[in-house]
Amino acid sequence: MPHYPEGTVRTLLQTDLVTPATRAALNARLDAPAHYEPQFFDADTYALLRAVAARIFPQPDREIPIELAPGIDKRLLAGTADGWRYDAMPPDREAYRLGLGGINQAAEAQFNQLFVELDAAKQDAVLELLAAGKAPGENWVQLPQNRFFEEMLAEMAEGYYAHPLAQEEIGYVGMADVPGWQRIGLNEHEEREPEERAAGDK
Amino acid sequence: MPDEELLEEGVLNPVQPEIQDPLLKSLLAESEATAAPTEQEQTAPLSDPTDEVDCVVIGTGAGGAPLLARLAMAGLKVVALEAGPRRDPKTEYATDEKAQNFLFWNDERLSAGQNPVAFGKNNSGTGVGGSTLHYTAYTPRAHRGDLQLFTDFGQGVDWPFGMEELELYYEELEHFLGISGPTPYPWDPTRRKGYPLAPLPLNGAAQLMQRACQQLGVQTSPAANAALSARYYQEGIGWREACTNRGFCQAGCNRGAKASMDVTFLPLAESYGAEIRADAFVTEIERDAQGRVTGVVYEQHGQTVRQRCRHLFLCAGAVETPRLLLLNELALTSGQVGKHFMAHPGMQVWGTFEEDIRPYKGIPGGLISEDTHRPKDADFAGGYLLQSIGVMPVTFATQMVRQRKLWGQPLRDYMRQYNHVAGINILGDCLPHADNFLELSDEKDARGLPKPRLHFTAQENEQRMNRHAEKLMRQIWEAAGAKDIWAFERYAHVIGTARMGLSGDDAVVNADGRAFDVPNLYICDNSVFPSALSVNPALTIMALSLRTADKFLASLRT
Repeated sequence: MPHYPEGTVRTLLQTDLVTPATRAALNARLDAPAHYEPQFFDADTYALLRAVAARIFPQPDREIPIELAPGIDKRLLAGTADGWRYDAMPPDREAYRLGLGGINQAAEAQFNQLFVELDAAKQDAVLELLAAGKAPGENWVQLPQNRFFEEMLAEMAEGYYAHPLAQEEIGYVGMADVPGWQRIGLNEHEEREPEERAAGDK
Repeated sequence: MPDEELLEEGVLNPVQPEIQDPLLKSLLAESEATAAPTEQEQTAPLSDPTDEVDCVVIGTGAGGAPLLARLAMAGLKVVALEAGPRRDPKTEYATDEKAQNFLFWNDERLSAGQNPVAFGKNNSGTGVGGSTLHYTAYTPRAHRGDLQLFTDFGQGVDWPFGMEELELYYEELEHFLGISGPTPYPWDPTRRKGYPLAPLPLNGAAQLMQRACQQLGVQTSPAANAALSARYYQEGIGWREACTNRGFCQAGCNRGAKASMDVTFLPLAESYGAEIRADAFVTEIERDAQGRVTGVVYEQHGQTVRQRCRHLFLCAGAVETPRLLLLNELALTSGQVGKHFMAHPGMQVWGTFEEDIRPYKGIPGGLISEDTHRPKDADFAGGYLLQSIGVMPVTFATQMVRQRKLWGQPLRDYMRQYNHVAGINILGDCLPHADNFLELSDEKDARGLPKPRLHFTAQENEQRMNRHAEKLMRQIWEAAGAKDIWAFERYAHVIGTARMGLSGDDAVVNADGRAFDVPNLYICDNSVFPSALSVNPALTIMALSLRTADKFLASLRT
């Protein structure tokens, strides 16, 4: 699996290769406080959302993981949308409440425990059921689980890959575009584009 | 709707279920504070300037902006109302997908049917410049045959006029906007005029597609794009700088190199005295006893404002245009408003390559093939074009997980190959069908207006086209050396819903774009398209816009 040297994006953000507007957007994510007090979900539901996010995006390689739950809590509190919703789905707030409740119902049906009390392997087993559309639980009568899983996954993927450190992870440096790109063909790099390393190299 | 008890479970701030949007919450809070009863609200004094303008244009995208300039240049007093804000791309645009979400029409629409269409960033813009602020800048011309599907296939409908009515406008637009493209055009070599600028350079995905198509005997060419391959003089604005291959067209160009309306037709219109009012959301279209439009009412910065006009041009796109007509019970006698909603089959095929691609660089749609415009082995009506695609990481990740449902370590592992990923897609014709339509739902939005619900199910013709295209694109990517190839069935662009035709019995507007029911109402955007065309719609919307203005101006002289 290719990987890229650490610090690439952090370093670029300090240069004038990045516009002020771009730097402001990315630094806000880099500098987000480690602790977040939920404002939409109650403490238990928020802990459940964090636990789900930690299995969708496991980050054993990071000392401080990229937190995906705060963005979801903030968005639901603000009530903002992305322009559309599956007609088969209830409004986003209800969808998350029903869906997270449904994940707990599935955990209890399979393992007689709440999702947050399960070990990682069992949590993954519950999410596998959800991904396959086979999670047990009464909430799923009101909520199509394949659509809920898709929507939650897409929102978490957006939150993760919008983060500068996740962009660094995949070798994306498109934010450093002030001079534009001249070397754009196959296997062509500009100096500021990081070279990928083989697995094992630092 | 679930009951109250269930709603409150697990949350700190239970809310009224139908009220999710921040704007509506603040509106409600305001009205609670003033405790104004509803009856009083309705009779509250409305700012009512007596000044009447010649024309009001609703919407400043590809449908509204060109005609706004044309009308202003003819000496008319014109006002454009744009629902979204005016921003300065040079200072306010970030090269960051999430920060640029303000470019999209993010009010919620409900997507129904077997193939629910994604809106927002997929196809719907807002702000001074409309959806051209985020269009990819693909500007292929429609083909002669696209306008006569019924004649050629016995399916779909013909346009009420032929290519000769659009050709002059295509030529004018290509030169005014500064389109970069190949001359001669391989699939239409007898054009009278070539493109004013050479094509943009090819990125990695375009080179891979070029290489593979050559092996397979599929002809390709650098595509026509509304982004400048060299500095270009723009009437009404001055010099526009060349594209620097930022690859960020779909989330906003900060250089003015892409020909969005805010750097082309809108400054031109303003230089001739047109007034553009941003943040102006139209809610009402007022009429007199004879049914003529007398003015519009809009919300701007918390105020309700009326603007009187002699003529109205509705250019709000194929969702908001029919929504306004339905909300105002206007131009409905044909029964066609909201009907025949179409969306282009836009299937993508992705693969992973040995080569280093870095898909964030270069114009996203660098390479095109129109060999599939009328494929010899087709079992469907119409056809499609093929394009290479570049992609930004968040867009790629979110589309990929929706299709592949990867999560956990496999998701992170797959995304680590981002720099080795390249895609191709199609843009195909779509036949109008009675099952695909827009309606107003019972659910309300932030303004208390019904949300639109759009039904879309790919019918037999679209399904056959998708199968044909997926097979070909997989062959191309295999020939290019791709591994882990996967297809993403998607539908792009919002078309139909207020169709143009020869008779008020089956169309909302006539061949000049004027409503059959309302003599001083014109509609010009993708909603009037009788059929979807097998090319990206922006250039044709702009051509229709100029043509609509010319037809209207000619009617004033008679």
